[in-house]
Amino acid sequence: MAKGKKLPMIDFGLCMACTVCVSACPFGCLELAVTGSDRYKKAYPGLPLPDSCTGCGICATECPVDAIIMVPAGNEN
Amino acid sequence: MKGYWGRILVVDLTTGECFFRGVDDFIYESVLSGVGLGAWYLNQNIPAGADPLGPDNILGITSGLLTGTGSVMTGRWMAVCKSPLTGGWGDSNCGGDLAPAIKQCGIDAIFFHGMADEPVYLYTNGREAEIRRADQYWGLDTVEVEKALIRDCRKKKKPAVAVIGPAGEKCSLISGISNDLGRFAARSGVGAVMGSKKLKAIVLDGSKRVEAENREDVKAISKEYARKVRKSNAPALLKGGIFPAMGKAMGSLKSVSPMDGLFTSMLLKKYGSIMNNTLSIHNGDAPIKNWSGSAKDYNRFFYKELNPEKFIKREERKYHCSSCIVGCGGICNIRDIRGGKFEHTHKPEYETAMMFGGLLMNRDTDSIFYINELLNRAGLDTISTGGSVAFAIECYMNGVLTAEETDGLELRWGDSETIVKLVEKIAKREPGIGDLLADGVKAAAEKIGKGSERFAVHAGGQELPAHDPKIDPMLGATYSADPTPGRHTTSGGQYYSMSFLWDRVSWLKPLKRSPKSDEYIPGVDEALKNVAYTSYKMLVDGAGGCYYAMLMGAQHFKIFEYLNAATGWKKSPDEYMEIGKRIQNLRQQFNAKQGVDVNGFKVHHRVSGREPLTSGHNKGITLDIDGLVGAYRKAWGWDAVSGYPLSETLDALGIPALLKKEAVHG
Repeated sequence: MAKGKKLPMIDFGLCMACTVCVSACPFGCLELAVTGSDRYKKAYPGLPLPDSCTGCGICATECPVDAIIMVPAGNEN
Repeated sequence: MKGYWGRILVVDLTTGECFFRGVDDFIYESVLSGVGLGAWYLNQNIPAGADPLGPDNILGITSGLLTGTGSVMTGRWMAVCKSPLTGGWGDSNCGGDLAPAIKQCGIDAIFFHGMADEPVYLYTNGREAEIRRADQYWGLDTVEVEKALIRDCRKKKKPAVAVIGPAGEKCSLISGISNDLGRFAARSGVGAVMGSKKLKAIVLDGSKRVEAENREDVKAISKEYARKVRKSNAPALLKGGIFPAMGKAMGSLKSVSPMDGLFTSMLLKKYGSIMNNTLSIHNGDAPIKNWSGSAKDYNRFFYKELNPEKFIKREERKYHCSSCIVGCGGICNIRDIRGGKFEHTHKPEYETAMMFGGLLMNRDTDSIFYINELLNRAGLDTISTGGSVAFAIECYMNGVLTAEETDGLELRWGDSETIVKLVEKIAKREPGIGDLLADGVKAAAEKIGKGSERFAVHAGGQELPAHDPKIDPMLGATYSADPTPGRHTTSGGQYYSMSFLWDRVSWLKPLKRSPKSDEYIPGVDEALKNVAYTSYKMLVDGAGGCYYAMLMGAQHFKIFEYLNAATGWKKSPDEYMEIGKRIQNLRQQFNAKQGVDVNGFKVHHRVSGREPLTSGHNKGITLDIDGLVGAYRKAWGWDAVSGYPLSETLDALGIPALLKKEAVHG
């Protein structure tokens, strides 16, 4: 992991599972990978391969409800 | 950027030429994007009398103005064309992942002209666009071809792909366009138009960012809306068994009072549209036995199998279209059905459940899940196919069709085994009964003759969905007089009562209650509500908004504020409603230009009740369709006889000037 790189941290208390971040990511890094965290069986975005993320922050900018913030790598979970 | 690119992709399939071109701000300010942009473009470029399945027809794939701007519930795309089912204006609305992908290519829409000689698909990333051979994909079902194209075209991110199935390839008039493995633009026969052009698929591989004029303002609206929806949850005690009683209670009311639409979001989050299954059987909304029966026929022995709890038991996870904060969809496990032919299917919608449930007197839920996937993969509209099966059963049971003509199938109400076999034949367009029904009930009745049209339930060639207008006369007017007849999503009295438009639009009176059939008197006052809701719907379809967001009301889904924030315009709700009126008039003006006999759009006698029901909630009710249509036309400023917009109506909306704005193709 590159030093100083930032990764998306998703606040699942705010995330609406709307998938905007998944389709906005230009590198296809985000996937609907987080399940089992609510009673509706919703699938939330996750970053299965953090190394693939460039830290561009587009997902955070695009999120309609500001559920994503960019944090130093290692602090995203 | 004001939410839209002001740029479209024009594809000539005859020559293989693709070019990007600009569109003036004036057009967006007049009709937004989405269906409005489509209505403007098709009015200009489709010649009068064009064959819907010929090279002169144009297929438009449009995104919404608000799509990708930081708004939510705005990820819908629309297919527009001249409909081969009705001969007039055709459009179909769909979710999934395609709408943002269109805009990520730096365009607002794609318009396909002409016709390819060989199967092709379009690939574009916004910088380049090319027509590619699709021989290896032709014949694949919708799921197979979408997966194959993603595999073959993927560079970095997963491209979004819209496809037709084998039914569209064979120009079945009841075929649609799929994306995201089973989200469907199903109506108006848009799949047949795509198939006639030999266009198997559209692959969108862009990654441009969409900008809004005031993105933070857009997001602020989204956050407030999301907070409300997040808090709106059905109590754990609420179970599907309560819906029949709710339906009976609703059905007993003489009128509909305004209702806060967040209530529906609560139920949609838990169940999706199937929350309506057993409720609608009891409030008179659901058609039973090809529109000839009622809950007396489809009694508890049957309807208990449509309990929404039974449907969500198969749900592995929820499914959200892009930017959806509700999640009415679901991905269901169906590995145990019919030898595991399919692993998953998108959760059947209410329409599918009812068209293959009550309409056919079928109580086999597993068959509904199986048929849902079968039709999704073939690329067929479940509403029209269900209507066609009901028609065939009734023809057979009345001796109009013989076993020889049904390829040996002994068609009976509720016989799910035979129903599945018949659907498989329609899906493959097998010679014989499959081919006969693959173009819908109107075409089938014309071929069969022998009085079969009395079982062919449609409006202007479009099969009716599972909503009986006898409980909602405004819906009856919409079914019979809208430019796309026989469609339940355009307008209706129950929808209007949830819109709270009267709080925002100056020319609407505050709503206290909407009368149902018993007290409903067709007239311009009632029709104006229809004008309002239809205009609102056109506005939402221009913005890329979701119908369920509309139902939550303009006080929650703040379409007017969203549009001002995204574009930087400072338009009032009245001015936006004018845009909606303009779009609706463009749709009907298209019918006028094409010389469509819109008087032929009136609903089948069973739907209007001219052939009255003899039992159930709607027993003996007959709608005054002529009165409803007359009032509707008057309220819109359309000619009472021809049904076309009057010149003064078009002038007042600036439509002649709009259509003079440069001929955009060629």
